[in-house]
Amino acid sequence: MSDPTHIRNFSIIAHIDHGKSTLADRILELTHTVADRDMVEQVLDSMDIERERGITIKAQAVRVLYEAADGETYQLNLIDTPGHVDFTYEVSRSLQACEGVILVVDAAQGVEAQTVANAMMAMNADLEIIPLINKIDLPAAEPERVRHEIEEGLAIPADEAVLASGKTGEGVREVLEAVIRRVPHPVGDAAAPLKALIFDSYFDAYRGVVALIRVIDGTVGANMKVRMMATDVVTDVEEVGVRRPANTPVEELTVGEVGYLITGLKDPALVKVGDTVTLARHGATEPLPGYREVKPMVYTGLYPIDGDQYPDLRDALDKLQLNDPALVYDPESSHALGFGFRVGFLGLLHMEVIKERLEREFDLDLLATAPSVEYHVYTTKGEKVIVHSPQDMPEPGHIERVEEPYLKATVLVPPDYVGQVMELAEGRRSTFKDMQYLSATTVEMHYETPLSELIMDFFDQLKSRTRGYASLDYEYIGYRPSNLVKLDILLAGKPVDALSFIVHREKAYARGKVLTEKLREIIPRQMFEVPIQAAIGGKILARETVRAKRKDVLAKCYGGDITRKRKLIEKQKKGKKRMKSVGNVDVPQDAFMAILKVDE
Amino acid sequence: MMCAPAEPRPLAQHASHHPATLGPVSLYVHVPFCVLKCAYCDFHSQPFCDVSPEEPEHFAWAVGEAARHWAALGVLDDVLSLYVGGGTPTTLGDGLTGSIADLCAIANMRPGAEITVETNPDTSSPELAARLHASGVTRFSVGVQSFDGADLRVLGRCHDAQAAERAVRELVATGARVALDLMCGVPGQSLASWQATLERAVATGAGHVSVYPLTVEEATPLAHHVATGALPEPDPDAAAEMMERADEVLADAGLARYEIASYAREGEQCVHNLGYWTGRPYIGLGPSASSMVPVAAFRAAAASESWADPSVVGVGRVIVDVPADAARVRFTHAADTVAFIRTATGAPEEVEYLTAEEALREDVVLGLRLAEGVAADLAERAGVVDALLRLEQQALVERAGGRWRLTRRGWLLGNEVFAEVW
Repeated sequence: MSDPTHIRNFSIIAHIDHGKSTLADRILELTHTVADRDMVEQVLDSMDIERERGITIKAQAVRVLYEAADGETYQLNLIDTPGHVDFTYEVSRSLQACEGVILVVDAAQGVEAQTVANAMMAMNADLEIIPLINKIDLPAAEPERVRHEIEEGLAIPADEAVLASGKTGEGVREVLEAVIRRVPHPVGDAAAPLKALIFDSYFDAYRGVVALIRVIDGTVGANMKVRMMATDVVTDVEEVGVRRPANTPVEELTVGEVGYLITGLKDPALVKVGDTVTLARHGATEPLPGYREVKPMVYTGLYPIDGDQYPDLRDALDKLQLNDPALVYDPESSHALGFGFRVGFLGLLHMEVIKERLEREFDLDLLATAPSVEYHVYTTKGEKVIVHSPQDMPEPGHIERVEEPYLKATVLVPPDYVGQVMELAEGRRSTFKDMQYLSATTVEMHYETPLSELIMDFFDQLKSRTRGYASLDYEYIGYRPSNLVKLDILLAGKPVDALSFIVHREKAYARGKVLTEKLREIIPRQMFEVPIQAAIGGKILARETVRAKRKDVLAKCYGGDITRKRKLIEKQKKGKKRMKSVGNVDVPQDAFMAILKVDE
Repeated sequence: MMCAPAEPRPLAQHASHHPATLGPVSLYVHVPFCVLKCAYCDFHSQPFCDVSPEEPEHFAWAVGEAARHWAALGVLDDVLSLYVGGGTPTTLGDGLTGSIADLCAIANMRPGAEITVETNPDTSSPELAARLHASGVTRFSVGVQSFDGADLRVLGRCHDAQAAERAVRELVATGARVALDLMCGVPGQSLASWQATLERAVATGAGHVSVYPLTVEEATPLAHHVATGALPEPDPDAAAEMMERADEVLADAGLARYEIASYAREGEQCVHNLGYWTGRPYIGLGPSASSMVPVAAFRAAAASESWADPSVVGVGRVIVDVPADAARVRFTHAADTVAFIRTATGAPEEVEYLTAEEALREDVVLGLRLAEGVAADLAERAGVVDALLRLEQQALVERAGGRWRLTRRGWLLGNEVFAEVW
């Protein structure tokens, strides 16, 4: 049995790109957890996409043994968490499994929005925070300025901040010593009924669902009968173990330990992040606090460009969902796009990552419709309708009011760009709440913003208007009524469902105008005139026309031209095939994308 | 005349090779030299200043080699037309006269065969024209493009409108038939200036006019000017209107449209070009030149011993070693003058075999370019009647007198038709 006084459970938190995964790599190297020959960059990020983008999507837990300066050997459990706001709930669960965090701040970039957000979460979870100023080897490093920002902006004492470089390995031993000295060891009751927190899970094709757990009280081992408290499922424990980082079975996990739990359950929906594992008999009566159902925030329609790939898309989504229970989807059909799925995501990054994985790992060509949020529509009959897709929007005459999710958005930006942020936010129906100087170089601004505005390339706009300096974080604050309408796009007089979207009434005209203009450029001239209209209900707001094609002929066609010209015509034909035929209008895929990038 | 059929042919002893069912063929020579490349041109051609002094001579010799190779295989036993294009063949000056004479000696030209030479206002002189005409050239095709100075500058032509007019009149004066090329849809060109160009073309007395809407080909100076915004992109609607205007103006002047881009006085249609659109075999000599021959004509010959002769090498092999289901073969030489000079009879760069069905469909597509269209029974054999019926519903083709042909709308939207049939 492990002695809790020699256990430290900690996490590394950071704004994206501040060097969290590289630091983890150095820790694994220093403690000889991974043999040199097996060392790759970002060891804990096992997905290609994580490595390429330098992001962490899945949480990880790895046990390392560290011989400290005091001559004792400690069991350190490093819990690597996703850094992005989309995965805030997962981060909060991972943090609950820890007693401390290393807060990594880039020595050049300084404190950014997710630094603040993650630090707040760590404070709220009452964790010991060890600041680490990373990348001090960079020419642009300004550790003193960053130290100041940490103290001023985050109110975290930083005189003991570790100066480190994930690249050179400098400061890694110091930070591990700081972890041992400052992070409290876990405290629990080994004799009490089992309480273990599930902070992540993944699916193994041979073993079923594998839960990553942190034992709070009691002990868990193979052959015990356990109960998942939120889902109320009783099952046998097949195996427990620790990750070093390969799965290594152990007899039992006890107070303070972090490891994995295999039960043989095959349905990921039964093993939920945040749930508490206890004994089936004489178990705990109260689960650990903080569990909640994860709800998608953003929805989009995903359609295979080639209709034959629909079953493949379903299989692929099934497979991804095994490792990502936050991914939800329902079949959906569109007149324009055929059969597809309405898929719910935790946020935009989650959506991008899933779409990319579907295309890359499953070789699918997908078309995504405009992202949407979950609207609450109250009808004149007093019913509440949940709307995830513009297609489900009731007729304008039947709507009493519509409510949409709002966020508290926090933007950190150098003072010079405050004006640009205000301009952008105002255009996005955001209400300014307050702002404060975190330091002479960083202003924190708060807005209340509809989520639907944030998902329309807000982040890209923010980055481009502030030359990349601004950072963004947000949290959900609830539903509020908004004057929202469904804007339909009609091609040749027929509404194209995949092009309609929900928009604030005051912006409907401008959006409709820009979108019809853009579509006129994108839709090639056809054999007949194609009117493009934007309409609310039956009322036309904007109209453009793609004129009928008058001339399309290869005038020169002699001996040497024939082969070349036939190839040209074949290419044209292929291009036409790739278009979606909507009614009798050929619509290029770009048209469906255009709607995502319309900024009036 | 140097092309009299009575001329003894040195390779006549190879008559045993003669593929009995080949029928009349067209012969094309690509001369890859010009004075300066025009802004829109993506044909294989080198400005004369970049060409070494002996290269034209070597080129002429290589053309002769290639012609002898085909003649030896019996392919040039009945040549209906010779077309010397480019580039600008007249940059070769008097050397061209000799080359044409050589070709007429090697190939068996049919009496009264059409012999066309392409020329440009800036390389044409009354003396050269007269000598070419005397050596058997029956037709000159002049790249005029426009009688408007602004158009000519946009197109990067080396001549002005007066020079073009003078050159055409001089060629007409030789007594040979004269064709001229015009371009519409040029950035900046107005309908009025186009009309003026058409009228001046008619006034020269030329019996043949070709009208091409300007297309921006990749990697040309014109494409660069359009990409950088120095010139507006050609407007297809303006070009359409100009094509229709050409139809009216030229018809009024007695030049009837007989193909999408071609107008001629009665009896002045281009025999050579008609071959391309009616499935007549053709042999192309020179870099980037294409040839097309039916496989059937060579089946028996290829099986015979003389064709198994290893001397049938290089380009000849493409009509011997054919896939079983091939009915037609088309092949194109690399666009590389030096390579052509080195191995005039070398294997072509690109070979395309068409099945019987593909060949028939191609005949329909090309035949539909003609005002007379294609016979209904050809369409039936090609299996494209359903496609034509669909196109008829869109008013792109029509049936008349047992033939299918393009409508007025179809003239402008030919690609819709070709894509459906091909």
